[in-house]
Amino acid sequence: MCNSVLFVVCVELLRFILTRSHSRGPFSLPLFTQRVALYQGPNTSTAKIRLRTRLVVTLLFGGGLLGTWWYVRNEKQQNHRMQRIEQLKKVALGQGDFSLLDHRGHRRTKRDFLGSWVLLYFGFTHCPDICPDELDKISAVVSALDKDRSLPAVQPLFVTVDPERDDVAALERYVKEFHPRLIGLTGTPEEVKVAGKDYRVYASPGPKDEDGDYIVDHTILIYLVNPDGLFLDYYNRMKDDVQIAESVRNHMKSYVKLSE
Amino acid sequence: MSAPNSNQRKACWGARDELWKCLDDNQDNASSCEKFQKEFEASCPAQWVKHFTKRRDFLKYKDKMQTEGFEPADGPKESRS
Repeated sequence: MCNSVLFVVCVELLRFILTRSHSRGPFSLPLFTQRVALYQGPNTSTAKIRLRTRLVVTLLFGGGLLGTWWYVRNEKQQNHRMQRIEQLKKVALGQGDFSLLDHRGHRRTKRDFLGSWVLLYFGFTHCPDICPDELDKISAVVSALDKDRSLPAVQPLFVTVDPERDDVAALERYVKEFHPRLIGLTGTPEEVKVAGKDYRVYASPGPKDEDGDYIVDHTILIYLVNPDGLFLDYYNRMKDDVQIAESVRNHMKSYVKLSE
Repeated sequence: MSAPNSNQRKACWGARDELWKCLDDNQDNASSCEKFQKEFEASCPAQWVKHFTKRRDFLKYKDKMQTEGFEPADGPKESRS
């Protein structure tokens, strides 16, 4: 509605500026008949100059109005994004700390990842199809964002919900088949539970079959965490890598603006 | 038993897709697709076979609901008192 009001105001102002003449009232003659009258008079050149000035003034004014509209629109979009971030902050996921082992056997805590943008996914290596799909998706997002040199590098993380089977060696075998920067994280069942609880991740191992194999039912979400360690956004199975990359890019741009 | 690696996963998915294509072509007649069934079971861990079989059943059920519509079961009959 705001846009249409602005548009109408623009049109009226343009009409006002273009149809104004010295002798008559403001809205008397349309431009066409005015031009005909001008050509008939002796002082045509000054009249033409006056027309040119009017056109220049109109263009500058129109440009100014367009600029204002653009600025207002951007402000509105920014406000909308800030509101969403505030809402997600209230949900307050990922406020705690975690202490896990990465796929090379090094201890890592949440602090180690501060200063980086993180894409976090919880899954398990015996997963039939969903986890490989989601990790491929994350790899594609990270690769796409890497191409843009103006953006900071994103750190993808894979935390297991199956610490019984996914030890350091298992994770090492698993993560090397995805993006080279992907870090796998595991630990004792307690440590893993703490990390999962922090992001309200649901995980439930299913019944074991004769081989001792089982499938873990779990939350399928990719979490975006900013360099301050704050949870900012999440992406479900419906979002493809292009949409996620776009969303991360927008978050990164808003983040820079905030800290200025 | 370690988890399947990327190649093993792809082999399993391939076998599954072949089986499902066969079933689609034969109106879910399992006996016509025994060869693919055996190949599928050989390429995938037992848990995955169960998982994908359940998934196919679910997808078929979902299709049926979308095409044939949903008829809610009869509610409890009025009790005579």
